[in-house]
Amino acid sequence: MKLLEYEAKNVLAESRIPIPRGSLVTDPAKLTLPVVLKSQVPTGGRGKAGGILVIDSSDQLQPAIDTLLDLDIKGFTPQNILAEEKLSIKSEFYLSILVDRQSAGIQLIAHKDGGVEVEDNTDFKTWAINEHTSEVLGQSLAEYYELPSQTFFLQDLVENLKTCLVKNDATMIEINPLILTADDSLIAGDCKMTLDDAAAFRHEWNFEEKIVEANFVTIDPNGNTATIANGAGLAMATVDAAYEAGLTPANFLDIGGGANEETLLKAFNRIVEYPNLQAIIINIFAGITRADEVANAIVSAKKHITNLPPLFIRLAGTNYEAAAKILTKEHIVIMPNLAACLTAAKEVIHD
Amino acid sequence: MTNIFEGKNVIVQGITGAHGGFQARAMLNAGTNVIAGTTPGKAGQKVATATVYDTIADIQKYHRVDISVVFVPARFAKGAILEAINAEVPLIVCITEGIPVHDILTINERLKASKSTLLGPNSPGALLPGVNKLGIIPANMSLKGKTAIVSRSGTLTYETMAGLTEKGIGQKYVIGIGGDVIHGMGYKECLELFQSDTEVDQIVLIGEIGGQDEIEAAAYIKQYVTKPVFAYIAGHHAPAGVQLGHAGAILGSDQESAANKTKILSKAGAKTAKSIVDLINLVVGS
Repeated sequence: MKLLEYEAKNVLAESRIPIPRGSLVTDPAKLTLPVVLKSQVPTGGRGKAGGILVIDSSDQLQPAIDTLLDLDIKGFTPQNILAEEKLSIKSEFYLSILVDRQSAGIQLIAHKDGGVEVEDNTDFKTWAINEHTSEVLGQSLAEYYELPSQTFFLQDLVENLKTCLVKNDATMIEINPLILTADDSLIAGDCKMTLDDAAAFRHEWNFEEKIVEANFVTIDPNGNTATIANGAGLAMATVDAAYEAGLTPANFLDIGGGANEETLLKAFNRIVEYPNLQAIIINIFAGITRADEVANAIVSAKKHITNLPPLFIRLAGTNYEAAAKILTKEHIVIMPNLAACLTAAKEVIHD
Repeated sequence: MTNIFEGKNVIVQGITGAHGGFQARAMLNAGTNVIAGTTPGKAGQKVATATVYDTIADIQKYHRVDISVVFVPARFAKGAILEAINAEVPLIVCITEGIPVHDILTINERLKASKSTLLGPNSPGALLPGVNKLGIIPANMSLKGKTAIVSRSGTLTYETMAGLTEKGIGQKYVIGIGGDVIHGMGYKECLELFQSDTEVDQIVLIGEIGGQDEIEAAAYIKQYVTKPVFAYIAGHHAPAGVQLGHAGAILGSDQESAANKTKILSKAGAKTAKSIVDLINLVVGS
């Protein structure tokens, strides 16, 4: 789960990492000017899209708030606006801490030049967290940023970031920019944070809901073939094979391990919305999932969804015999393999 | 070196759970020697022929434990795996999905200084037809033989295995390394095993978009693997930046794309396919 800026900053503050004074806008009359208004959307590129406004006079306040609430940034409009003190900035740095896939460890990543253009750089400094103490890392950062007087602060910051990452089950915390103010304080100007959804059971998270659907992805809304598979790999492979067979897959769908009748029916209902749909390929290799439950869902979909295009079904694995019985009784054919499904689907597709 | 996948005495952690019980029976039916299992507080119960104990240490009072297959729910999985590491179980196979990544980091640190090897988590396990079924890979779709399969995806592993079986090509190993971002054994360790095992005569490697694992595998193949390698990377038509199903499958940079990984594997000497249907044909035609 990706946090919004104000949520991420609240988490930082709990770990004693300095953030600007600010709050969500509830009553514009109570804001102290000048003020920075920031649209709270779950996407990057906000500054460039006009999602941050600096306001000096009270008559600009309400119009600015209205503008931000209406502003669509990469498909998102904000539920909230964050109002923050305007900082006088001496310089900006980049600092992040994350769980790194390749090294299978936690890394600290820094760049001298923070801000919106930072992603264009390739010369980031990285340190493996478990190979150094926070004292050493803080000192290295101070040297790299050329801020020797901030050594003690940076040592604390690294230690607090590390604790913040682990304690909150975060996989990534990015402070960009890390601002050095005119009075020589370092402060988190903006923050992105991703929490590990798998760890939700041991936290009482109460954040704005952001809808992320990893299991159902539209590839081509005008595609002629929908795909349903279980397991991310098999679902991707089914899409690849459909392309190679000359079909145009509309979607990627991984019904996951342990899928049941209800989740499958939901999937069918979404799939039949594609306007050019002429075939549905179902490719299930049951392991944890049980094939008979899938079979029941297929029978139920056939009964309840009227405009269902032809189904080309490949079913194998756990409880296959029971599934075959259920489908045969309803005169629904199971194909021997994916290749046979694709060949048969190809025959019903017309332009 | 003794082969850890061929260990004789197998236990199941979480054996009284719905998945653990069902799959322990399936493992027994496939001829795997599941001698016992654990579920704290349920000592003395039986799951088919396997006796339930509270802890691995209790089992070890009576039996040597070679392999543990973990079905414990995600929130308790860290404790279960650490218990197996403490008990010095040579091979730990973790089927559980949805374990927090910081738990896996802790487990990995402990593994470094241990006598255990971890396969998974979020893995379908390993199947050595006629020898051991360690996890949820359906044994009835396999055939004993000389091909070794390694994959990040569970179902794609089954698909490949079943496709080869259908064409009469048997398998020595079918191994799923798991779909999580951070995991135990990788492609490299599996390739090392396949290359050194004289009973393996060809290798099938299945990858996905996202991460660098397949690129590292290609480097290893180029340098050390002399047996024929067939490869397929799933996700040729995956949109960039969108997570597809499990955590590991997200296309970050172009380097992590199916096209690039396929190219690099091909340069390393692997025969590559553009779809799973092609992959089976490629192996059959060789």
